[in-house]
Amino acid sequence: MARGASQSQSTASHATTRPGVMAPRGTAAATAGMRRRRLGGGTSSASVSGGSGAGGSNMLRFYTDDAPGLKISPTVVLVMSLCFIGFVTALHVFGKLYRYRSSGATV
Amino acid sequence: MGGGFRVLHLVRPFLSFLPEVQTADRKVPFREKVIYTVISLFIFLVCSQLPLYGIHSTTGADPFYWMRVILASNRGTVMELGITPIVTSGLVMQLLAGSKIIEVDNNVREDRALLNGAQKLLGILIAVGEAVAYVLSGMYGSVGQLGVGNAILIILQLCFAGIIVICLDELLQKGYGLGSGISLFIATNICENIIWKAFSPTTINSGRGAEFEGAVIALFHLLITRTDKVRALREAFYRQNLPNVTNLLATVLIFLIVIYFQGFRVVLPVRSKNARGQQGSYPIKLFYTSNMPIILQSALVSNLYFISQLLHRKYSGNFFVDLLGKWKESEYGGGQSVPVGGIAYYITAPSSLADMAANPFHALFYLVFMLSACALFSKTWIEVSGSSARDVAKQLKEQQMVMPGHRESNLQKELNRYIPTAAAFGGICIGALTVLADFMGAIGSGTGILLAVTIIYQYFETFEKERASELGFFGF
Repeated sequence: MARGASQSQSTASHATTRPGVMAPRGTAAATAGMRRRRLGGGTSSASVSGGSGAGGSNMLRFYTDDAPGLKISPTVVLVMSLCFIGFVTALHVFGKLYRYRSSGATV
Repeated sequence: MGGGFRVLHLVRPFLSFLPEVQTADRKVPFREKVIYTVISLFIFLVCSQLPLYGIHSTTGADPFYWMRVILASNRGTVMELGITPIVTSGLVMQLLAGSKIIEVDNNVREDRALLNGAQKLLGILIAVGEAVAYVLSGMYGSVGQLGVGNAILIILQLCFAGIIVICLDELLQKGYGLGSGISLFIATNICENIIWKAFSPTTINSGRGAEFEGAVIALFHLLITRTDKVRALREAFYRQNLPNVTNLLATVLIFLIVIYFQGFRVVLPVRSKNARGQQGSYPIKLFYTSNMPIILQSALVSNLYFISQLLHRKYSGNFFVDLLGKWKESEYGGGQSVPVGGIAYYITAPSSLADMAANPFHALFYLVFMLSACALFSKTWIEVSGSSARDVAKQLKEQQMVMPGHRESNLQKELNRYIPTAAAFGGICIGALTVLADFMGAIGSGTGILLAVTIIYQYFETFEKERASELGFFGF
């Protein structure tokens, strides 16, 4: 679920949604949001960006907070996934070799 | 309150074992986000094509045949489960939280953390459960044929793939990518399906000789090779057993209708209490909950299918099992089962207008079910996701925003006039569009196309916003 702070920013200030942003940075982002709104007030683009913000904030969101757990970086996620792909591919290769050898022995 | 907290606290001991993508501690540059998104998509696509090691056959009945595209899963591959575990766990958590079985206060940080952990844990458990069910139900050949070693290997592959999908989705949502992984995977799968059906070079032998599977390729092939151009044209537009040009045109039409509806919104003016003259707006879109109703409805239907087929195979003839759904082999697909009775039949889209005429109650029931389910999920979702009138009013208050001409205490009341209506009516419109697409025979399914268009539209919005931010358009 979206955190209150980031939700406020994304909807009211039309700032880019940044899930899980910490409090100090949130404050800075809120200030930036205020500045942005002043500039946006003079043009019609405020509505457009508002639309984007509102739409984005409703996208399916399961992970928006720091939960205690096994911390892994995004690079680790990608590497882990690629290793899994390699592992399954290797299984196929060895499986075929094994069948070839056993069938050869039989013949 | 105490009871509720105890239920959620059951999750606490497991949190330390769950993989947790660390939150981005700085703003990730747009280019970096694109790279992470593309790599995640690449991993997903490769897994979708990588065959499972150890499977004996995939000729058994496929309970997920109808939902493959929407759930981003491919038969016989590592991505067999697709996003089912994560969407199902989201569905379950929504129902529990929405019905107050689990007491969750979205303003308490610990509650949100526990809820997230519970969701992830449930997703992993569902992946394990479904993997075991797949193997034991003989989806890949009987367990006797597979052998215990291969069966365990298959289960491990499916479980790990499920965990990878969960981690990839979390990675994208924690600020390293664009949008959400679930939406990305669904949209990619659906677009891939549509493009394949339109331009596939595969030939299939039917009674009339070799025919191309792709609708566009078949159109040109028929026009070139047939002497009777009029009959060739009619064949290309209306052939029954393969994708045809009418299907393609219906798909394009649904795309355009959905894009048109995306623009519907009510813009509420808001003003800062502090800075004089500072004006903004808070738009409430017709599709307030976006694609959530259709995703949850699909998850519900696919799980019902799965359970129904499982029970039917083992206990056919039992009254309650037959009430849930009766199945039999499909005439067209090899080994596919189609529902022919029970609840499963009535919540399946009629296959044609002739089918509708033959059984009008089926068509009516399906229509009512679609509209009701989407409206209900939509309305419930705003409460769970923290976008209800009360939540929005609270956020605006924290930002010191008020609506001109309204007292501060009336803000929530004013929002209450629009948000629940937008959610429910938006859900109904989504359901109606889905039904319309199904009846018109759009490629894939109505549900799938609606999901794809909505998701792609959101990506365009996100892309525009990110680009504007990066280029300093708003004074960064």
